[in-house]
Amino acid sequence: MDTREYIQSGIIESYVLGLADAQEAAELERLRTLHPEIEAAIQTFEKELEAAAFANAVPVDSHVKADLFKELELAPQEQPSIPTTLRPESKTNKTSFLKYLAAAAVLLFVVSAAMNVYIYSRYKTVQRENVQLALQRDQLFADNSKTQTKFNELDERLRLIAGPDIIKIPLAGVPGKENSQAIVFWNKSNKDVYLLASSLPKAPKGKQYQLWALMDGQPIDAGVLQDCTTVCKLKNIANAQAFAITLENEGGSPTPNLEQLFVMGKI
Amino acid sequence: MKAIQKYTEQELVALLKERDANAFSYLYDNYAAALNSIVRSFIQDDQLADCVLQDSFVKIWKQASTFDSVKGRLFTWMSSIVRNTAIDTLRSKDWKNSRQNVELDDRNSDMVADNTLNIDAIGLRKFVGGLKEEYKTVVEMCYFDGLSQNDIAQTTGMPLGTVKTRLRKALIELRSRIKR
Repeated sequence: MDTREYIQSGIIESYVLGLADAQEAAELERLRTLHPEIEAAIQTFEKELEAAAFANAVPVDSHVKADLFKELELAPQEQPSIPTTLRPESKTNKTSFLKYLAAAAVLLFVVSAAMNVYIYSRYKTVQRENVQLALQRDQLFADNSKTQTKFNELDERLRLIAGPDIIKIPLAGVPGKENSQAIVFWNKSNKDVYLLASSLPKAPKGKQYQLWALMDGQPIDAGVLQDCTTVCKLKNIANAQAFAITLENEGGSPTPNLEQLFVMGKI
Repeated sequence: MKAIQKYTEQELVALLKERDANAFSYLYDNYAAALNSIVRSFIQDDQLADCVLQDSFVKIWKQASTFDSVKGRLFTWMSSIVRNTAIDTLRSKDWKNSRQNVELDDRNSDMVADNTLNIDAIGLRKFVGGLKEEYKTVVEMCYFDGLSQNDIAQTTGMPLGTVKTRLRKALIELRSRIKR
């Protein structure tokens, strides 16, 4: 169709002024959606009429508005900018809330980081302490088992020397060796001999103390004192009238060196 | 006369549909005088004109939800309400009676009284006055009296096609006068 001719036919003016009949209006409303130039022509005339009305505006008495709003029971605020001022306000509230949230998050992060550092250092300290404690514990266990062993040994020996068949023979220091002392425990039943060298000078290098049993003036070798800590078990002696300890060359001698006699005791 | 623009037409329409009293107040402040020019091109009497304008705004408020921007601008829609209200008012029995009395009383006197505007100088009426008689008649009957083209054909005895053509030519002529 020739839209130009249609536009210039006067139908646009007729429609906009509300004078077109139903059929004409329906046709135009259909065509305006199909042809942008028709739509544009309609709007152009609408704007012309609007501009003319504003150009020829006739002031209205103020009571009309008052009556109108009274009739409609409307009460507009004189400051219609209230909603627009509300909007940015609520916006700032929102942003400030977000700011607080962000600040709180940062603060929380910093605190958390500091806590991490502190807890990590504490952990390291505790770990070191734990290692030390474990070492100490191992040491104590070792000491304990050593003590236990010694205790068991002592207990055993004590049982032996406290037995009913045991004869206790104190050996006193001979003149010149008064500080030296030893005790022999002799089991008359099984002839076991034990020695508690409670006070003998430390044997010089290459020398060892040797115990002798004396029977009818004859010395009998009862063995050399090994490096035993408590009560030493020596050789069995069948019969004895006295015991004595001499310092001999390492490994012991067949006969005692009487010049090196330290202690002696009779049964 | 247009106040500082606070709303676009779309915003204004949206707010009116939401029955926003502030938007309606803004609408009144911005459009009342322009719409009053249409009222005044129909109605001479001050009091009646104010009533018509007020009635028109009541309809605008109550019918805002029916406004369809696809069918035209807000002002065009409001103009249509004003025109229909004015025509309906002029047709109403009360007004016709009082007008007849006025016409009888003042038949030969000057129509322009102190408290009335000369409607011939207002709105479209101002431009209609300059048209040639055959155009003037059809525009008067159609636009101002609110008669349908069919009514005019029947009233005048003219064929409907002639009425249609004459009206369209008259409106084109009118438009060129408005733009001038």
